[in-house]
Amino acid sequence: MKALGIIFDGIVKRNPTFVLILGMCPTLGTTSSAMTGMSMGLATLFVLICSNVAISLIKNIVPDKVRIPVFIVVIASFVTMLQMVMQAYLPSLYATLGIFIPLIVVNCILLGRAEAFASKNGVLLSLCDGVGVGIGFTIALTILGAVREILGTGAVFGYQLYSADFGALIFVLAPGAFIVLGLLIALFNRLYAR
Amino acid sequence: MKSTMATMTVSLCGLSLLIGAALAGVDSLTREPIAKARENMRNEAIAEVLPDFDNAPSAQAIYTEDGQTIFPAFLSGRNVGAAVETYSDNGFSGRFTVLVGLDTLGCVTGYKVLSHTETPGLGERMCTWFSEAGTTHDIRGKNAPFGVRADGGDIDAITGATISSRAFLEAVNRAVETVANHIDELNEISQ
Repeated sequence: MKALGIIFDGIVKRNPTFVLILGMCPTLGTTSSAMTGMSMGLATLFVLICSNVAISLIKNIVPDKVRIPVFIVVIASFVTMLQMVMQAYLPSLYATLGIFIPLIVVNCILLGRAEAFASKNGVLLSLCDGVGVGIGFTIALTILGAVREILGTGAVFGYQLYSADFGALIFVLAPGAFIVLGLLIALFNRLYAR
Repeated sequence: MKSTMATMTVSLCGLSLLIGAALAGVDSLTREPIAKARENMRNEAIAEVLPDFDNAPSAQAIYTEDGQTIFPAFLSGRNVGAAVETYSDNGFSGRFTVLVGLDTLGCVTGYKVLSHTETPGLGERMCTWFSEAGTTHDIRGKNAPFGVRADGGDIDAITGATISSRAFLEAVNRAVETVANHIDELNEISQ
């Protein structure tokens, strides 16, 4: 039961994008469409689960003073593995997402969860925390990407809802990312407060 | 765990060794699939931009000094054109690479943008814009030099992305020029 609670907390109460406001660089950079936002979310989800589990396994044999470098090394190696596997088996996804994958290393959600949760809890709970926060991040990025894509180009996941000529292109560009993100955070907090 | 010089050194070195080994393992497992995936993508792109051919263009490729690649295509021994992997450095956000298909007369048969960092929704539209059938910006079947209308050419630029359009046509012009410069080598292959 506790495990389910942690997953749910990760999605809602500790949602990395809408509540913790962590990992803003990939959030703003990769959400110009719903598809790329979701892919980035899933890639982060994968790395987050792996790094949380690995760090909770080694937490007792890592000296406190070097824990941050150790966490970074663990995260970076999972990201590198993900990058190689994607290149080999999902080349078209890698073509669109490629430049953002190495940036997962410096995504503060990963280090944040490693420091705040995985280094203090057991393997199972850390796994759940990774799943929850990862899903929360994926959902947030997908929503953000979908809203920007619909307002900007009139399409979502490649389905044209209305003519692209009526789209406000600013939502696909960087300023639109800030505007939509701000409004979504406000909406999320309003709903959550109820 | 207590942080002493010994424990810190041992744990960091041990971890690095372990992870180094794991990375080397994954690398050796994925090296071949990665090479194969790249090769497949390239072959698919070549088939997409050229009319039917029955040779292996990537096996007979000509590599130019300035980083372009010419893939000659033959159908039953007769030259049917070539695909050129070319580039432009004048994109709105830097370099992009395009594969341009040309027939033996130098007319464009098709193209595919291989990699780019143009603005989504604006410059990104170049991926399909210049092959929209029945428009004045369809470059297929036309011959170089290409230019956007703003520069006195006869190709309509993408609305709001004249810089990207200009850079794209520059790349296509470069492809045509590259084939013309290497025509002797191409003829040698076909004989």
